[in-house]
Amino acid sequence: MKAKKALSRFLRWETMLIVLLVVLWLVFDAKDASLQAARIAKGRRATDIFNFTNMLNGMGPYLLYSFMALGMSLILGMGDIDISVGAIAALSASVMGTVYGPFKKAMSPGLALALALLCCVMTGAACGFLNGFLVTRFRELFPMIITLGTQLFYRGFCYLLLGGDTLQYKDDAAWAGLKKLYSGSVSIGGLSVPTMLIWFLLLALMFFVFLHLTTGGRRLFAIGTNRVTARYSGIRVDSFELCMFVICGVTAALSSMFYVGSVSATVRADAMTGYEMYAIAVAVLGGFSTGGGKGNIVGVVLSVIIFGVMKKGLGTVFGLPDSTVNLAVGLVLIASSVLPNLLEDLSNWRRVRRQHAEAKLS
Amino acid sequence: MKRDISEKTRQKDSFSLLSYVIEHREIPLLGVLAVLLAGVSIAVPGYFTGNYMNILKNCSMNLVLASGMLCVLLIGSIDISVAAVLELAAAIAGVLMRDGKIHTMIGMFAVGIGVGALIGFINGSIMSFGRVLPIIVTLGMTYLARALIPMDFILGMNKIARIDLTEYFKEFILHEYLGIPVIVYIAGAVAILMGLFLRYTRVGRSIYATGSNEEAARMRGVKVKWIKVLAHVICGALAGMAGIMRLGYYNAIEKGAANGQEMYVIAACVLGGVSVMGGYGKITGVVIGALMIATIDSAIPQLFMNATMMKEFFKGILILAAILLNVLMQRAANKRNLKGRDI
Repeated sequence: MKAKKALSRFLRWETMLIVLLVVLWLVFDAKDASLQAARIAKGRRATDIFNFTNMLNGMGPYLLYSFMALGMSLILGMGDIDISVGAIAALSASVMGTVYGPFKKAMSPGLALALALLCCVMTGAACGFLNGFLVTRFRELFPMIITLGTQLFYRGFCYLLLGGDTLQYKDDAAWAGLKKLYSGSVSIGGLSVPTMLIWFLLLALMFFVFLHLTTGGRRLFAIGTNRVTARYSGIRVDSFELCMFVICGVTAALSSMFYVGSVSATVRADAMTGYEMYAIAVAVLGGFSTGGGKGNIVGVVLSVIIFGVMKKGLGTVFGLPDSTVNLAVGLVLIASSVLPNLLEDLSNWRRVRRQHAEAKLS
Repeated sequence: MKRDISEKTRQKDSFSLLSYVIEHREIPLLGVLAVLLAGVSIAVPGYFTGNYMNILKNCSMNLVLASGMLCVLLIGSIDISVAAVLELAAAIAGVLMRDGKIHTMIGMFAVGIGVGALIGFINGSIMSFGRVLPIIVTLGMTYLARALIPMDFILGMNKIARIDLTEYFKEFILHEYLGIPVIVYIAGAVAILMGLFLRYTRVGRSIYATGSNEEAARMRGVKVKWIKVLAHVICGALAGMAGIMRLGYYNAIEKGAANGQEMYVIAACVLGGVSVMGGYGKITGVVIGALMIATIDSAIPQLFMNATMMKEFFKGILILAAILLNVLMQRAANKRNLKGRDI
């Protein structure tokens, strides 16, 4: 019995994610070592590309969609889906860029930037509210179709605000301060950790507490398991769902802030297309089933790290082009949603066979 | 007593026009389409007479995609990878033509439909046998297809341009017989065949049965899982076919060329009264929905002075509003229906 318990613990999704992470790490490390050996054999200087410090330093760009993934896990946990997060992020960035110019003329740059950031978050919340409102009022259409529609609308709004222009903030002093805040790094115990990772871990901790230690989280999973039962047991399903959509919009706005502040320092109407795909893929790989009612934030954090390692490893160590990396992301998304079902089938089949055997014995 | 019954039947007769309209939701839709066209024609004089062929041409690709989407929606599933499949099929067929491996029209269509059907089969099998939500599978497939296009063995960093295609192919799609381009004939044929298939064949009826009550259909002996796969195969094949049509229409294809098309396809279906829960929907509604989308698409630049940036915005807002309005109308009709039956 004890062995069986250990086996079931081993088969838990988070454990499998850790195993996957270790396997990926070993493969990339071995490939990297062989590359180094080849370089030394040719008489060139060896440069270690793939190691812990490098990975930690270069984590920044892979963390952008992780904020969205946290919001998306709430939505997936309720059995809904939100495809418009990429467009929400682009719209919040566009609003931030549009209001920053007039604000700067009126007041000091620092204050203007702070207000612009506030506008960005407010836009995200407003978009999330619209999504949630439509989803809860129009139950005949699935959340997917509604958010596909609002995505078109938000993206159109970006074009209305910016047209085809690109707003640039390369030599703006206040913006440089923002960049330092987002993409700098702090040294902890001799390692330089990107600040973005710390922001992300803080946010993830908040989500973990909410989802796994409060009644709010219990309600969310109850809604995800069975919406009707949840309603009859006294949960205000509609308003709760609306709140979750607002939170998802805010996380999208947060990741757009990081995108503008740290990675590109530009605002464009077609920025961040396809980020919703990454967000969904990270959340699904993290163990949030798309049917709702299941999931763990620890898994999401692990899968963010796995995605970072995978993209970095495939991109720099194996030197594959970007499209191949995208191929891998698509495959991981499909595989990670098929695998739990197949495992369940297997365990069901084993149980049935055992019961048959027991019936035969008696 | 006898009189009572006859009175009831008479009442029913007088009521029948309204109930007929409620039963056939395409009729009010046709009215909405007429109002839309009339409104735009009044606002922009000479709009309809100058544009009706453009509307038909624009709607034909969308209609072929939407007929496939109808099948998928009828079984209660969804496919958002159609735009990516369209690009992939067009890219593969275009590359084969560029390299001189295919010269004929039929060859092009065979390759396009084959590629689409294969991807549809993969989608359907994962969705049906792996019990994964269709949205996740097709979202992943969108990524896979878009990632395959820039691979070296397909397009590489190039795109298919005008010079890569044969003269005959470029001519054929827009060649006019009796004043109507071939592309419209193709779309019409697909729509009619799809209507006949869904209405009069055993498999077509099984699709409806699976969508409205899967368990009951399984009890009746319908192979539910294979029907689901088949619906996805049809959708993929038609997406591939639309890819070849697009290649002939624009004479060019590259990665991301049809980005966002899936929304217009789904919108055409939803506007046409197809239920996204599955089990209800007709091809006539889809045709009207596709015509509505094409009308909106061609009217906006005329109404707003060719502002391309405004176009995206208003297109998004109009389609969203139309979908929501459609749901509200449906609710009102249902309420009325229930009231008529004293429920």
